[in-house]
Amino acid sequence: MKQKTIQSIILEFEPKSENILPALKKTNAIFGFVGEKEAKIIAEYFDVSESKIFETTSFYDEIKTEKQPEILIQICNSANCTVNNSFSIISEVENLLKIKAGSSASSKFKLEEISCLGRCADGPVMVVNGKIYERVTKSSVHGILGEYI
Amino acid sequence: MTDNLKVLTKYWGKINPLRIEDYICVGGYMALEKFIFKMNPEEAILEIKKSGLRGRGGAGFPTGDKLEMVARNSPCGVNFDYKIIPTSRDTPQGKKYFICNLEESEPGTYKDRLIVDNNPHLLLEGIIISALSIEAKKAYIYINGNYEKQKEILEIAISQAKEKKYWGENILGSNYNLEIEIYSGAGAYICGEETALINSIESNRGEPKIRPPFPTEAGLFGCPTAVSNTETISNIPWIISNGGERFARIGSKNSPGTKLFILSGAVAKPGIYEAPTGINVRKLIDQYAGGIKKGKEFWFAQIGGACGKLLLEKELKAKMEFCVGTGRDLSVQMGSGSILVVDKSVNIHDLLISWTDFFRRESCGKCVPCREGTFRLWEIAKRFRDGKISDRDKTAVEDILWTLDNTTFCPLGKFAGTAFRDAITKNILTF
Repeated sequence: MKQKTIQSIILEFEPKSENILPALKKTNAIFGFVGEKEAKIIAEYFDVSESKIFETTSFYDEIKTEKQPEILIQICNSANCTVNNSFSIISEVENLLKIKAGSSASSKFKLEEISCLGRCADGPVMVVNGKIYERVTKSSVHGILGEYI
Repeated sequence: MTDNLKVLTKYWGKINPLRIEDYICVGGYMALEKFIFKMNPEEAILEIKKSGLRGRGGAGFPTGDKLEMVARNSPCGVNFDYKIIPTSRDTPQGKKYFICNLEESEPGTYKDRLIVDNNPHLLLEGIIISALSIEAKKAYIYINGNYEKQKEILEIAISQAKEKKYWGENILGSNYNLEIEIYSGAGAYICGEETALINSIESNRGEPKIRPPFPTEAGLFGCPTAVSNTETISNIPWIISNGGERFARIGSKNSPGTKLFILSGAVAKPGIYEAPTGINVRKLIDQYAGGIKKGKEFWFAQIGGACGKLLLEKELKAKMEFCVGTGRDLSVQMGSGSILVVDKSVNIHDLLISWTDFFRRESCGKCVPCREGTFRLWEIAKRFRDGKISDRDKTAVEDILWTLDNTTFCPLGKFAGTAFRDAITKNILTF
């Protein structure tokens, strides 16, 4: 069933090399990551090697090569958000969920520090499973995570 | 010229960005009509050259020169010596490309996003004129993968403009043809660098390429390509309508025009302000952003994003320019135009980790000095915070900063240590 869907995704794209990245993005959006199986099918379709697919996939932050945890929390730690105390929010989340930023030890949660999303006027910025929250504070972080846990 | 002249933000908030009629009502697409019916491409490029417009992405390369280079190059490898290895098997022959760089992931910078939010047709008009002036048949808009809303706005604008025949086949009944496509990035800071951006559109890893050949000779799919920043392009309609000489009289002599400045941090009114170039930092903070936020004490300001220099209070009279050191007055490289005001309540160790972590994450890994250098700087920054800094670290910092500055492949690495170095030399950080 899954195989059928991946094929229907890539059929939307003309088999030209410049369409590889859009196809990977789309696959990632639907499956949550681009696994070996999908990579193989995409490589065949575009007539390139699987390593080429992995090469491109592994480079971009938005495309994942592994299954992602249930709840992915991303907090911007670029200079502007840092000035607005994003580090205190990172440690608040670390304490709350008993995880470390950047570690994949928990299968349920993952906390990532990310770069600027261009919302610097409304920092600190936090992203949970793709949903963006602005002006996050140490107290509001509890309510936000409460929606997911 | 007054300080109030607005080239880019004149109609922000006054017209509906989702209606092309609103833009046409205020004189929109008149520049395109002028270009098509009254000018030829050489004249348009000459006007842009006369205007002295420089790339607003940060490097400040003269836009007119760039367009002229592409315009002069015959498509796909005829009049130059470099042997081109086509990166794609289906390299289209006889093409030139124009790319609008909307990647914008410089920390503290969101001017391009607001251009699209408030007046997408201004950008589109600029793209069409620029692309036609170099005789490109296809223009790409490379947009940051996070800018989903902006992508939708642009899609609406593009389809409206097509209905009005501002692009497509036989634009406004002339012989000009142009295709426009939006290409969405996938989250990589380095893709704002033009050769990396080109690699990304070709679906390769977004790593920078060696130059020469420059993209103006062999860019996208091996064809001559002009890559320009969104803000730069948005100036083009004004230049075509009002003439390059008038533009050249605005602001600083060596980098004329107005610029969007993004003020953030400990200022009373953070936001985006359009001001003539050559304005000094203090004026921007005091007159535009309402001064320092109440209860905060100014410490230093970082100019131009993550790779920007730090200015202390006494240096705030520095003028914002692209060519630094040419005039008699103190000036500072304005980069993307962002100004981050840091007050004394900020933990400098956190900020140090923020800078170094950013470059560690965003280093593409192609060259060793940058990949290792940014990583080691980050480690040292962490030890600094934890109070575990050793004498060896102190000497290592010097070595790493020198190596980054002198040996990296592309500008990302070169500027990765700028803020760190300034923090040390300006005694913001005490070793």
